[in-house]
Amino acid sequence: MTRNYLQYFLYPSSLFVSKEPYVVKTILGSCVAICIWDKRLKIGGMNHYMLPNWNGNDLASPKYGNIAIDKLINKLLSLGSKKEDLIAKVFGGGDMLEGKQANSYLIGERNIRVARILLEERDIPVVASSTGGKRGRKILFFTDSGEVRHKLLEKKVY
Amino acid sequence: MSNLSDRQLLKELRLRLDESNKAKTELQNLSKDYQEVSRKLSESESLKSHFISNISNEIVNPFTSILGLSKAILSVEKNDWKKVVSMVALIHSEAFNLDFQLKNIFVAAKIEAGEIAPNITKVNIKSLIQNIIDSFNVVSRKMGITIDLQYNIDYGFGKNLYFKNDSEKLKLILSNLINNALKYSYKDSNIILRVSIEDDVLQISVQDFGTGISEKNQKIIFERFKRLDSGINSINRGHGLGLSITKSLLDVLDGTITIDSKKGEGSTFSISLPEARNMIEGFSGEGNDIFFDDDDEIF
Repeated sequence: MTRNYLQYFLYPSSLFVSKEPYVVKTILGSCVAICIWDKRLKIGGMNHYMLPNWNGNDLASPKYGNIAIDKLINKLLSLGSKKEDLIAKVFGGGDMLEGKQANSYLIGERNIRVARILLEERDIPVVASSTGGKRGRKILFFTDSGEVRHKLLEKKVY
Repeated sequence: MSNLSDRQLLKELRLRLDESNKAKTELQNLSKDYQEVSRKLSESESLKSHFISNISNEIVNPFTSILGLSKAILSVEKNDWKKVVSMVALIHSEAFNLDFQLKNIFVAAKIEAGEIAPNITKVNIKSLIQNIIDSFNVVSRKMGITIDLQYNIDYGFGKNLYFKNDSEKLKLILSNLINNALKYSYKDSNIILRVSIEDDVLQISVQDFGTGISEKNQKIIFERFKRLDSGINSINRGHGLGLSITKSLLDVLDGTITIDSKKGEGSTFSISLPEARNMIEGFSGEGNDIFFDDDDEIF
């Protein structure tokens, strides 16, 4: 069933949107990936950010949640989507660091929080999510159907 | 609720007080963060306008030189062909600089658009570095600077190390470091490039004996559009993107960069770069290898 799909591997700090049916795959640890899908045009895109907020220093890249979310939405809008047709699915944000160190940073949790806050502000409903926990995730997103296949990983990579 | 004892009530109140205190500190921290970011934003806005004037210099000046020089060549008498050689050399160095700066700008745009992904191949490190040094030959010769390559890797086929990585990105990273070293060096000095490998992590350092960077400035040089106006050869040169691009590219490749510098004595920029690996077994970035497991959850 995957024969008909073009494939795209989404690296951290990048984002992908396409009109063509693609299957976008990625691996998540404390990073968060948001899949946004247009239920009218049946197109979608995904981002993969590592940190919640841009610090104003580095390049304003989708490494940062607040930038990655808006860029993803804008890209879909530029392909003809309307805001009210968009729905979101949120994945990742695991707690990957061991011990006390983990608590002080809470990268995963803060990444999830940014997703929730910004998506709510932009009126995009989160229809499904799998976040938090101690394990990494593998995500496959079908941009034409909006379906996401999700699996928790055994090994703690990333 | 109505039949709480005083003690319980007190306990509950204390709990709520603690919680509200916690919320208050969190809010304070957040507002501090917010103020910091908004300060940075207004700062970056003014930097951006500087950037535009820098960038137009960077593009317009070489073009003007190239156009002028090529026009001059067209009108050179046949027996004066020796003049042409030096003019062609100038055209080459201007075009080289233009090409280099445009590459930087396009890569920065790509990084900001989230369209950057590692493109991993086996890279011959020695020839890659030699090629970059050669490409700076004209510039370095003009300034009387020798680039000394200290290649300290003894194994591999004919001492050629084949290292899995992204050659284009590595090229741009090293070009930026060498370009900076040249820019901030005094005339007739040295640049030392050291290459070694430890536990599959490639270590490359670029050392110059130029102006150096004060400790305060070492913290900010990776920020975008930031330029330190202390370079001897750097008057109105550069757009301040080089190092922030370098850092973002290293991010993509899982590498790190460190500075060691003393004002007045020169700087050493060292990068360490791990050999690229497939992200997870059976799930490489390149292959056409998605397979479903029965235990995939569907959302």
